Amino acid sequence: METIKNALDFSDFPRFDLIIAGLVFLFLLTFPVFPFSAFAMATIIQFLMFSLYGMGWNTIGGYGGQVDLGKAQYVGIGAYTTAVMLIRWDIPFWVSMPVGVFFAVCWSFIIGYPLFRLKGHYFAIATIATSLVLKDLFEVWGFVGAARGLEISPIKYHPPDFLRLIFKEDAYYYYVLLGFFVLGILYINWFRKSRLGFQLRCIKDNEDVARSLGINVHLAKVKTYAIATAFVSVVGSFHACYIKVIEPEDTMSLNISILIALMAMLGGAGSLWGPIIGAGILIPLKSYLKEWLGATAGLVGIDLVIYAMIIMAISAFEPKGIWGIVQRVRRRKRK
Amino acid sequence: MKSLLKSGVLVLSLLLAIGLILPSGATAEKVIKIGAIYPLTGGAAAAGRELRAGVELAVELANSAVANVDMSMAKNAGITSMGGAKIEIIFKDHEGNPTLGADLAKKLILDDKVDGLLGCYHSSVTKTVSAVAEQYGVPMINGSSTSPALTTRGFKWFWRTTPHDVWFTRDLFEFMNGLTEGKVKGVAAVPKKDIMTLAAACEKTEWGSFVSEVIEQFSKEYGYDLKKSMLYAKEAPDLSSEVRSLKASRADVMLFASYTSDAILMIKTLKAQKAQPKIVWGQDAGFEVPEFRATLGDSVVGILTRTVFLPQVVQVKKVAGQVNALYKAKTGNDLTGASARSFTGLQTWVHVLEKAGSTEPAAIQKAANDLNIPGNELVVPWAGIKFSTTGDEIGQNTLGSGLIGQYQKAADGQIVLEIVYPFDVASADMIYPFPKY
Amino acid sequence: MDILLSSIVAGLLLGMVLAIVALGLTIIFGVMDIVNFAHGEFLMIGMYTGLLTAQATGIDPLLTLPVAAAVGFVLGIICYTGFIRFLLRGPMIAQLLGTFGLMLLLRNLALLIFGSEDRALHHGILVGKSFDIGMGIIIPATKLAAAGLSIAAFGGVWLLMNRTRIGQALTATSLNAQGARYMGIPTQRMNALAWGIGGGTVTIAGALIVNFWSVNPFIGLLFTMIAFAIVALGGFGSVPGAFFAGLVVGIITEIPGFWDFLTYTFNWEWMADVPMTSLKYMWVYLAYFLIMVLRPRGLFGWKQ
Repeated sequence: METIKNALDFSDFPRFDLIIAGLVFLFLLTFPVFPFSAFAMATIIQFLMFSLYGMGWNTIGGYGGQVDLGKAQYVGIGAYTTAVMLIRWDIPFWVSMPVGVFFAVCWSFIIGYPLFRLKGHYFAIATIATSLVLKDLFEVWGFVGAARGLEISPIKYHPPDFLRLIFKEDAYYYYVLLGFFVLGILYINWFRKSRLGFQLRCIKDNEDVARSLGINVHLAKVKTYAIATAFVSVVGSFHACYIKVIEPEDTMSLNISILIALMAMLGGAGSLWGPIIGAGILIPLKSYLKEWLGATAGLVGIDLVIYAMIIMAISAFEPKGIWGIVQRVRRRKRK
Repeated sequence: MKSLLKSGVLVLSLLLAIGLILPSGATAEKVIKIGAIYPLTGGAAAAGRELRAGVELAVELANSAVANVDMSMAKNAGITSMGGAKIEIIFKDHEGNPTLGADLAKKLILDDKVDGLLGCYHSSVTKTVSAVAEQYGVPMINGSSTSPALTTRGFKWFWRTTPHDVWFTRDLFEFMNGLTEGKVKGVAAVPKKDIMTLAAACEKTEWGSFVSEVIEQFSKEYGYDLKKSMLYAKEAPDLSSEVRSLKASRADVMLFASYTSDAILMIKTLKAQKAQPKIVWGQDAGFEVPEFRATLGDSVVGILTRTVFLPQVVQVKKVAGQVNALYKAKTGNDLTGASARSFTGLQTWVHVLEKAGSTEPAAIQKAANDLNIPGNELVVPWAGIKFSTTGDEIGQNTLGSGLIGQYQKAADGQIVLEIVYPFDVASADMIYPFPKY
Repeated sequence: MDILLSSIVAGLLLGMVLAIVALGLTIIFGVMDIVNFAHGEFLMIGMYTGLLTAQATGIDPLLTLPVAAAVGFVLGIICYTGFIRFLLRGPMIAQLLGTFGLMLLLRNLALLIFGSEDRALHHGILVGKSFDIGMGIIIPATKLAAAGLSIAAFGGVWLLMNRTRIGQALTATSLNAQGARYMGIPTQRMNALAWGIGGGTVTIAGALIVNFWSVNPFIGLLFTMIAFAIVALGGFGSVPGAFFAGLVVGIITEIPGFWDFLTYTFNWEWMADVPMTSLKYMWVYLAYFLIMVLRPRGLFGWKQ
């Protein structure tokens, strides 16, 4: 069908990019076969998760141009839905995940309508506010374990359990996540060429012109926001099955929201590869910096200092992120 | 183009390099590796220091033969049943973050290939770390986390030496009942209506929230009126609205479950707002660390705290005095509930390894389940260590017990913790009611 | 009844202190339209400055205010000239990213230098003392002093902005930067000055607050959020707006107190079970959200 053809059509990228992408994909496909440490495996799973978060964020933040700093609440909705349904009613992941998406999207519509009347910083701060409100509510809501959180018991289920997504080895989680990753890329590829994608780009350029062209700006934004939340919620559900312990402070904190936005922006908001590059650089950087430097007593925090300086450097000199640098270099070469 | 290629290659080679270098497993002669995950930084860093020092002292005693300490662990150098194998501790800092704790546990198990785990103080972190241990079948001994839930999960690889909060809270209510019956040393019987109303403020993670529930349960059972029960964030910079809420309830008895920084803040705020309860009680943790006393000075006089070890115990147990002297020489402080229990935790590991004679997980598991350490080996005033293997609770030491201490000013002006419960080992008269601020 | 009164008094006192925290943010925003995520970290630095100066020199904490102000002023100017002005050319995304990076930097530098444990002041003329003005209202002396100094600071800043030439130049730049430039007012210098004043006021707030709140490297974010709420409520860029909005937000944080008042006055036991104290900041965020959606201009603002 048209949609599938569109999703698989990467032809508007230069050949070189596609070769690199192919190589990286090959690496990802075969990664678990190599004798990497558990630490490396955990890092690469994080990379995949944040790439997906970033891709979702990118729809509204990158293509849409509205910086959203409240994505963590949807991670929470996805994670908690899956966890609660599994713990209380033994419902498998593949059912609870769509339910989580449903709740997330509903919530996104509820706050999205008023939210999108705002723009710029006001919007950004409002997204933070809603995320914090939801987190605070979850912290006192007994049904989801309040601040104590929920725990998926490691001994109740028998791994490998594909229905409930409970595995002993990380490799299984890795491949499931890789599957989502590929689907995510295909979806975004379709999205950026779809009608909604074009509408968004038009809105980002000049909202008034877009409106005069007959685009329902508000609706377009709200729809895109819903897509972003769906992405995030799916990964949130996965997170619950992988980490098996979720609590509001951890899963829905502002830090997560900011990291998501940060990685996408750093890699290059508004491009297909941007969030992936951003996650691919920042996650290993963060993990290994912490591992090498952070653990040394007396140097706690230095890893984040370096991290912060990188962020500051990129924001000051190349706000379009790494992908922006790449494009700039290309443009210069073309001349 | 070039930069993309470069960064791509850089990342890939970085990952490859790390991946190939990191998987350790370099083994020398027989060294038993135990991973100890404690809060070495963060709000409970003060406790973390104590915990670490307790473990380090225990390892010293275990690995070499030390005279003057009446403990079988100290008499031997290394684990005799394994040819004198020495114990090596790998310390990791979980910063009070449960997810980080779980990550560290995974790394210790998969990359450092530890034979067992010890830790983690915060019940919320112990919860996640033990889940990881259970998943991989790695034995874990827990010395000081007291949330009751930890031993009701049916885990087969988790053993806890310390008694838990149900016991400790029951102690509190027995104590209050004793107060109404005149059993408390130095205090005439207090009419129940004077201490009828209770208010509780507990930190909101795994530990505190369970304490809160247990308090509610026992209030009903013992017939007290719990007027207000609240949970708060231990990292909150300000607790004045919480304290105001406590005051508003006009409760006679205020109960707390707080870690270090919040315990200090809570008492400071109580003092600032001139709260006037008749009894102030803390569920150990923050109320017990040396910082608490050092920071608040005279304000702590009259505060009761559940504890597991006080310096006064040395009067009853010779071995406690011997170890305490070594600990004081090492750190400058007396043993506290935290350090005494982390010491005991490692000591338990030593006994388990001795009994197992190998680091095979199955052997360790059997040894732990059959373990029976007599009370005179321990610095803590327990009857011994023996883990339950059937029933609702598995892996729980059934021979432990708690104490309730009260901060009092000694003749020389120093602030000391005196035992007020159990009644028969009380070391001083109780100060009642709580002194006016 | 005393519950109600204590809550109101506490809320107002706290509100005045929060107002001065927000003051710096609104000045910076007024002059150059940038939202400073690192605002709370400046506060944290002010707190450490006050604490360490008092501990190192033995002087009373209240006397450390000038030191804190100087540190804040200099830090603000450094941040502007060394970093922020590069952000101004970029899109809003970059500004958010950038100030967020600054926040991480300052927070982790503090972590590196000071360690993660809580520190608090234990000595000082007013520390630990309170006034009991009857009816069960207890006013901690430090909070009263902080509130008083806050009012003084507001008065000072208002005078500065409206009665001095520099202040008028700042106001001109915030109203219309280009127009001000035509009049010979150098924008760059005004921007730097705004950051200096903004930084200075919030570090003063920090040195005041450390008299009754403990400090660790992580407390910045909460204050940043509260400051945003106050500035939004009062109107971005409005100095008197920040003051009144501060009072309002102070009262909002006392909602648990009002709830308790209702609980015990009417003896509705079920109300005691509602965990109001855990939600006290949630009301602030909610208020922010509602204000932004219903009246983005805030109470006194003139910028949209």
